[in-house]
Amino acid sequence: MKQKIPRIGGWLYRRAENVLAAMLAAMFAAFLLQIAFRYLLNLPIGWTSEVSAILWIWMVLWGAALVLREEEEIRFDLVYAVAGARVRRVMFLVAAGALLALYAVSFPAVFDYVTFMKVESTAYLKIRLDWLFSIYLVFVVAVIARYLFLSWRALRGAAPGAGDPTQGRSGV
Amino acid sequence: MSLASPFSIAIVSITMLAILGLPIGHAMIAGSILYLLLAGLDMGTAAEQILNGMYTNYIILAVPLFILAAELMNIGSMTDRLLRFCDAFVGRFRGGLAQVNILQSVIFAGMSGSAIADAAGTGKMMQNMMTKDGKYAPSFAAALTAATAVIGPIIPPSIPMVLFALVSDASIGYLFLGGVVPGLLMALSQMTIVGVAARRRNFPVEPPTPLRALPGITWRAFPTLMMPVVLLGGIYSGATTPTEAAALAAAYALVISVVLYRSVSFGEFYAAMLASARTSASIGMLIAGALVFNYVVTIENIPNDLRALLTAWELSPAGFLILVNILLLLLGCALEGTTILLIIVPVLIPTAQALGIDMVHFGVMVVVNIMIGLITPPYGLLLFIMTRIAEVPLRDLVRDVLPFLWAMFASLALITVFPDLVLWLPRLLGYEG
Repeated sequence: MKQKIPRIGGWLYRRAENVLAAMLAAMFAAFLLQIAFRYLLNLPIGWTSEVSAILWIWMVLWGAALVLREEEEIRFDLVYAVAGARVRRVMFLVAAGALLALYAVSFPAVFDYVTFMKVESTAYLKIRLDWLFSIYLVFVVAVIARYLFLSWRALRGAAPGAGDPTQGRSGV
Repeated sequence: MSLASPFSIAIVSITMLAILGLPIGHAMIAGSILYLLLAGLDMGTAAEQILNGMYTNYIILAVPLFILAAELMNIGSMTDRLLRFCDAFVGRFRGGLAQVNILQSVIFAGMSGSAIADAAGTGKMMQNMMTKDGKYAPSFAAALTAATAVIGPIIPPSIPMVLFALVSDASIGYLFLGGVVPGLLMALSQMTIVGVAARRRNFPVEPPTPLRALPGITWRAFPTLMMPVVLLGGIYSGATTPTEAAALAAAYALVISVVLYRSVSFGEFYAAMLASARTSASIGMLIAGALVFNYVVTIENIPNDLRALLTAWELSPAGFLILVNILLLLLGCALEGTTILLIIVPVLIPTAQALGIDMVHFGVMVVVNIMIGLITPPYGLLLFIMTRIAEVPLRDLVRDVLPFLWAMFASLALITVFPDLVLWLPRLLGYEG
């Protein structure tokens, strides 16, 4: 049982990666379709740009919630990198506490906003916006779960990594 | 503005959370939620700003697509052929490989919009070529690669310019054009530095490629060389939007790598897709944080307060631009570039507009600043990447990067003082600014 959990976790993680890569591939395909329809067939279509925009939101929030590793996110690492393991643990716990409190306090209002958006739909595909925006709830819940887990580990004595800016994923 | 106002508390919290090591995107979202809470506003607004902002700003979609295009170029043999092409032409001069490094960066810059991707893509190959048989000192080779990679997002296409367009509403097409002359100017200054150092330090010469081999080498690199033409031709003929051009560039890279060069497996394709999606998600989080934070900044009327303050100082446009340069260069020593572009720059834009500064000029200048920030210690992302690739100490790398850094400062000063260097080409092609 003990080995099973990491194994299932690893399997699920790779599936989450598959979905993330597939979303970008689909966005890429939608763009190519849009260009082909407009210039080769002279038949402009609008739903492709809607699909791309939806995929962009999902890609970012899905990726940030389930796929991005701690070291991949962009941060200010100058202070963090020079701090010792114990200081880093304390720093992490303070930051995680603030994040958890604020995300948790705002969750009811965020939930209300997302569910209220059922009154609107997208222009072409008529997708209800509460469905479209539901990924934000997944994102908040996943971030809360992740930071609870990391805080629990830090409390048990494991200091978070010193950070490696070359692992950060910046696009500049 | 009192020190205990919701806004001041939010700013302090965001700064503290970032210093404590929270990802900057989360720090901004959390700080903005705190602001909404303290100001008694609906906290659901945080979600509203992020979701609507991401859904309606169509131009941001160029970011993941340009990242994908760069990844696809790096997995194929496009870079390989490009290097051989450059070597055939400039390798024969003294310091030939160093000149190859610069020339390939300029051509690569016409296809890729990310300096990080450029250094990661060709950095290893260039480093091996330059240090083989002890031709060049590893730290010099690494410093040169870092310095030439900086040109990538200044010559179009450019991810930082897309982000600037996002926060300023300036035209991406004209911003791209505005970067051409400054980018070439910087390349020229680097070539001069290498040329002078080549004589003084007696850099090696590559065996000259026989003239009759040139057509063959050019032919093999031709599809790669056509890429900037496809990309920029698409945008400036009006055939595609810049966002669509990004998709077209990725498709073109994929087609020539798979069909023409037969050098990409499905596994590599998947890896490129996943890597691009990861990078997009990481930048996307920063954009999400910036969307809600910029909303807070706007309802607090900060940009206009700053404008009022600076106009009260009776600052001249040139004085303001010099201040901006100093501010951005200092921030570049400590912060990652996307963060500066998405958080600091939006606050400065209204003042720039009030002073009558052209947005294309301002945007190109800002991007040059951000790019210089990639090679200024202590926090210079390109420096970190090149110490990793070249396995040289950061100190040696910084020492060898200094001459290039001075040259970039000089180029920055020139484009700050002479807006025509930036605006000449856009105006030639119809920009009315």
